[in-house]
Amino acid sequence: MTDSSMSQPSYLNIKKGLFSWIFTLDHKRIGLLYLYSVGAFFLVGAALGVLMRLELLNPGGDLIEAQTYNQVFTLHGVIMIFLFIIPSIPAVFGNFFLPIMLGTDDVAFPRLNLMSWWLYVIGALFALSTLVFGDGPADTGWTFYAPYSVKTGTNVSMSVLAAFILGFSSILTGLNFIVTIHRLRAPGMGFNQMPLFSWALYATSWIQLLATPIIGITLLMIVAERMLGIGLFDPSIGGDPILYQHLFWIYSHPAVYIMALPAMGIVSEIIPTFAQRTIFGYKAIAYSSMAIAFVGYFVWGHHMFTSGMSGPAAYIFSILTFFVAIPTSIKVFNWLATMYKGSISIEVPLLYAVGFIFNFLIGGLTGLVNGALAADVHLHDTYFVVGHFHYVMFGGTGFAFFGALHYWFPKIWGKMYNKLVANVAFAIIFIGFNTLYFPMLILGIMGMPRRYYDYLPEFHSLNQISTYGSWILVSGLLLMIYNLIRGYFNGTKTTDNPWNGITLEWQTKSPPPLHNFDKAPELVKGGPYNYPNAIDGSH
Amino acid sequence: MSDNTKLVNHNDNEIHITSYVEHFGTWISLILLTFMTVFISVFGADLNTLTVATALFIASIKALVVAYYFMHLKYDPKIYRVMIIVVMALFLFFLLMLVVDYLTR
Repeated sequence: MTDSSMSQPSYLNIKKGLFSWIFTLDHKRIGLLYLYSVGAFFLVGAALGVLMRLELLNPGGDLIEAQTYNQVFTLHGVIMIFLFIIPSIPAVFGNFFLPIMLGTDDVAFPRLNLMSWWLYVIGALFALSTLVFGDGPADTGWTFYAPYSVKTGTNVSMSVLAAFILGFSSILTGLNFIVTIHRLRAPGMGFNQMPLFSWALYATSWIQLLATPIIGITLLMIVAERMLGIGLFDPSIGGDPILYQHLFWIYSHPAVYIMALPAMGIVSEIIPTFAQRTIFGYKAIAYSSMAIAFVGYFVWGHHMFTSGMSGPAAYIFSILTFFVAIPTSIKVFNWLATMYKGSISIEVPLLYAVGFIFNFLIGGLTGLVNGALAADVHLHDTYFVVGHFHYVMFGGTGFAFFGALHYWFPKIWGKMYNKLVANVAFAIIFIGFNTLYFPMLILGIMGMPRRYYDYLPEFHSLNQISTYGSWILVSGLLLMIYNLIRGYFNGTKTTDNPWNGITLEWQTKSPPPLHNFDKAPELVKGGPYNYPNAIDGSH
Repeated sequence: MSDNTKLVNHNDNEIHITSYVEHFGTWISLILLTFMTVFISVFGADLNTLTVATALFIASIKALVVAYYFMHLKYDPKIYRVMIIVVMALFLFFLLMLVVDYLTR
């Protein structure tokens, strides 16, 4: 750590030129490289989503063919899951803010960090190459279920290799964060003095480290099955397709928490700042992150209730699934209790955080419906699952990502966006999001299956509403992006601490200097959220 | 060189220099276990359905030996052992549920 009275230049100005960015070892610049990358892929994924909604505006294949539709939803899923949601918060905001929040000058392995980003880029190129090579993108869905993924003529091998490479990027980021948290905390900062975003990243990193290798091997098994016909998953040559589902979901269910836990960490940062009071139940929130990460390993079978898995296994997985709800609801109650009697200032980041809680509650509760064995038999592979999933992933993680972007925007670039426009954009996004996805829950209960380009006439009106919602949502997203870009170029200069936050990132300059701090940051006595003017200092 | 010499580096972390005897003993045990695996699978030790289970058991012992001696788990703080045990427990749970599924399908 730099401990001098000399003021260092901002990390944005220390060097110029493309190479100073793409070969940088500075965690902040690497965070921004991820931001621009995942942001670009988010737009691609969103465009594919809108295309699907346009096709579903009316029954019949009046815009794209069935096969094209299958490829579009697969590419949408692969891009959104592997290229946007999984790396979004950890790789962007984790990279940028974890070292600063811990009071150190970089992650433990800066070169490994850069390599993670390069692996991400290479993986992304592999995924996009399916558009131009072979017989086009995979048409299997992002889950690559066997035996179809073994038999289809589309470019499955390249798609799963992309996911394999992206997995390595994820593993290395997780490893880097674990070592950083263990070894580089500021002197005097114990685990229980860490900000809750760090705790969330810590829990996430363990999942990345332990679960991702399984999907890597499983996807290679798909390639081996396609090329060598080993007989792992294809029943016609002695394989077992349900084994593939076990192997896939033992990673992919914990991966849901790779996506959700960092979002919860963001909310845990935003709420105390805008309530200006100590977070309620610090340890409960911190340890519940670890509990979610741990319990998340035991519930993968709830994705397979109708796959042919045995009854007793299904009972066990259904019971275990309900345990995840406990640490999750602990967090929600603690966030609400933090706001209770707080000095709340309703700023844009808080709106996104509250929007997260609203959407995530719907996503979480519909998840319990899916986890209930009898209900899932009816709802499995219907639009109810699509609605639930998007409420958790977009309504949850997406909203938290946007909240973090607005929360830390002045710290990252030293400028402020137009708050009025940001408020309007939030309102449009919130309305558009719920108009788009809530009808899906009803459609699912009515029995509309997912992954079809056509549907029965009785589903028409709700599909129309859903498509109109996608237009509202996109207009809100475009307004938000325009406002942020305008803020970047023309925003008013902001102070170092515009939100009166007290975690360590608010002690340094906006934008931060290359080594993060001009002088060693001072830890807040009594914990990272011990606001001096809080009405109620209870923990 | 003395057995298990302890040094202290500048980060106050203990580092160890393991004796040749221990390294050699570990290597010999791995070779013996490998021979045992080959014997069972190739030279027809008549264990019937236990063949796979025996091979897995021997492989597990080999992995433990490598982790404990070659990877210095023996000298690391207990927390690393706890981590290994947690990971193994997760893996065993995965296998257990697979078996439950297969046997009751």
